[in-house]
Amino acid sequence: MINDFLISFSLKNTYRVNGIIYCLKQIPLLGRLLPSSLYGAGGLKLFAGILSALWEVISTFAGKLIYMSLIFFGVQMICEDTLLPEGGVFLHMLFFLTAAGALMNTYMFNPSNDKYYAMILMRMDAKRYTLTNYGYTVLKVIIGFIPAVLLFGMLLSVPLWLCMLIPVFIAAMKAAVAAAYLLIYEKSGKTFNENGPSAVIWIIVLLLFGAGCVLPAIGFIIPRPVLLTAAAAAVALGILSCMKIIRFGSYREMYRRILTTAKSQVRAKQTQTADRSRSFISAKGDISSSRTGFEYFNDLFIKRHRRILWRSALRQTAVCVCLVLAAVAGVALFPQVQEDVNDLLMVYLPYFVFIMYAINRGIGFTQALFMNCDHSMLTYSFYKQPKSILRLFVIRLRDIIKINLPPALVIGAGLSALLFVSGGTDNPLNYAVFVVSIAALSIFFSVHHLTMYYLLQPYNAGLEMKSGTYKIVSLITYFACFAFMQMRLPTFAFGVVAICFCVLYCIVASVLIYKLAPRTFRLRT
Amino acid sequence: MDFVIEHLSKSYEKKNVLRDVSFSFKSGRIYGLLGRNGAGKTTLFNCINRDIESSGAFYFEENGLRREVKAEDIGYVLSTPTVPEFLTGREFLKFFIDINKDSIKNIRPLDEYFEYMSIAYDDRDKLMKDYSHGMKNKMQMLINIIARPNLLLLDEPLTSLDVVVAEEMKQLLRSLKGERVTIFSTHILDLALDLCDEIVLLSHGELEAVGKADLDSHDFKEKILAALREDEDD
Repeated sequence: MINDFLISFSLKNTYRVNGIIYCLKQIPLLGRLLPSSLYGAGGLKLFAGILSALWEVISTFAGKLIYMSLIFFGVQMICEDTLLPEGGVFLHMLFFLTAAGALMNTYMFNPSNDKYYAMILMRMDAKRYTLTNYGYTVLKVIIGFIPAVLLFGMLLSVPLWLCMLIPVFIAAMKAAVAAAYLLIYEKSGKTFNENGPSAVIWIIVLLLFGAGCVLPAIGFIIPRPVLLTAAAAAVALGILSCMKIIRFGSYREMYRRILTTAKSQVRAKQTQTADRSRSFISAKGDISSSRTGFEYFNDLFIKRHRRILWRSALRQTAVCVCLVLAAVAGVALFPQVQEDVNDLLMVYLPYFVFIMYAINRGIGFTQALFMNCDHSMLTYSFYKQPKSILRLFVIRLRDIIKINLPPALVIGAGLSALLFVSGGTDNPLNYAVFVVSIAALSIFFSVHHLTMYYLLQPYNAGLEMKSGTYKIVSLITYFACFAFMQMRLPTFAFGVVAICFCVLYCIVASVLIYKLAPRTFRLRT
Repeated sequence: MDFVIEHLSKSYEKKNVLRDVSFSFKSGRIYGLLGRNGAGKTTLFNCINRDIESSGAFYFEENGLRREVKAEDIGYVLSTPTVPEFLTGREFLKFFIDINKDSIKNIRPLDEYFEYMSIAYDDRDKLMKDYSHGMKNKMQMLINIIARPNLLLLDEPLTSLDVVVAEEMKQLLRSLKGERVTIFSTHILDLALDLCDEIVLLSHGELEAVGKADLDSHDFKEKILAALREDEDD
């Protein structure tokens, strides 16, 4: 038994360590310094092994501490309003949340990769594998909960002996649920996947969650003796359940079903991406183009992808028109808000950096370009010639800007209109700054997305995202935009700076594209 | 005209996939490129096609004159056919001829090309997302041969085709070999022996021609297998 556990644990550890090294290799620059032979090298392996062990310890305690602290603050909030005893509310909430958690988080029915590798690929004995690992998980639950329950339980004046018993109760509930699922499998052949619970389970969980949180909030908790009796019964049931879990004989057959369906679902998802992007191609017979060359090629692409490119942009525009009209009407009808709105308009322009980022269709556009067009076209040498790449880049840039511009113009004009009805401004240039800066932001994001796509081309032939740099740049873009949302700057100054920045960026991007894209715009291997 | 590779090396991290390869291919012949799994056949093609960077020179040599290989000299047909699925076969062909009209000699009406590839009339105006595997393969082949490239690279092109299409393609390749160098990579020894004029082995990162001399086909096969097996011993 011990041996089985050690083998499965080292398997899981190897898989985790290799995962860590893989992640390190994804980091630009650092990744290039690390050769593949590192997967077999001792030093880094040890480092990753330490990280992995740390993760094992942290995952044992940290999650539970956070969970308990959330309950703790919930208890305090409820007790402030209702004058219920803190310890009582704590036990009440914990009882119901534990029941809900046991249903959702069984370990045994989580179709994780390490189980797939061990039981299906490596053909380890399913029963011994499951029992040893399940035993380890139960132990981790008990040990992991002890400090968290002790800390927050004592703070809420729950007696020590009760605090020590709560982790056992939690483990018992989990065992009872696992045994129940095993029984259901035996009786009906139904398997359960905790990552995709059925509607019935969801409803039960929601009811339990409601009973745990809503009842105390409206001033009702189950009296302690009743709770303790129920918990004692649960512990007894848990012990019986453990016997069931130990005696259960069909782990192999059960896991074969759970794990292979889970795997095939993952695989189906990958082909789904390809099928989904293919389904965006419109099969309407009347689509044609009178242009020639790359214009013809691009024209047909845009027309056959109208649904994902233009339709959502036009919808956004319609929504923006409605919002603008409502806002202008609102400000015109209620003179008392005019001064506030006018003040806000003069400092709120940075906020629109994030809005323009959020409504830009650039990512969808480049994804469609790759999945349905460049993914196949990049295998033809005529398409990869520098003059072809640059010619098509310019055409695409024009179209991506065109698609993104309508909502931007509406928003820009809307802000100017709002400024006018809310009392105007002493500098008439402000009206122009709104329109031009919002349009410039929209163009900036269009250029940005297409430039990133051409310079980093992040996908491989299997349509997976391969570039760590691309992910990092995307994250930075997101956080930069998010940071702008928190800023309050004078509209005129910010608008002018934004316009200049956008123009400058477009120039730099074009130069980079002309210099680098013929080399960087490739299929990743 | 010869296609010449000189001092081509390619390594991934520390593994030398291609070691200082130098080789000369003659036009009018089909070369069967054989190698074990992972020997670097696709890497070699990708280097020639400039899909991956490598050290080494590629040029054509005719009557003692050398010139660089340009992108339009190369046709590269992959084992998994990739075509832009949002276009119909006819639109793709029109687009291709449009942008290459300067380099394609005596352009024919589009339907003549489809005729030539035996692509049925009804299929020519269908979106290529609805094409079968074999049809996509024919389209890809058509686009690659239409500009009459001087060098045709074929990476396992017949393996997943049904027998009828595979036979059509073989005939086509034989009829095309006249004015160009054709390099055909495959795992199927019998196919290589049937179609190719020369057998070239890629092993230990080097290219090596296998002379047939006066061996009969059985002995020739044994010789090739023996040469490939050597890989296992080191």
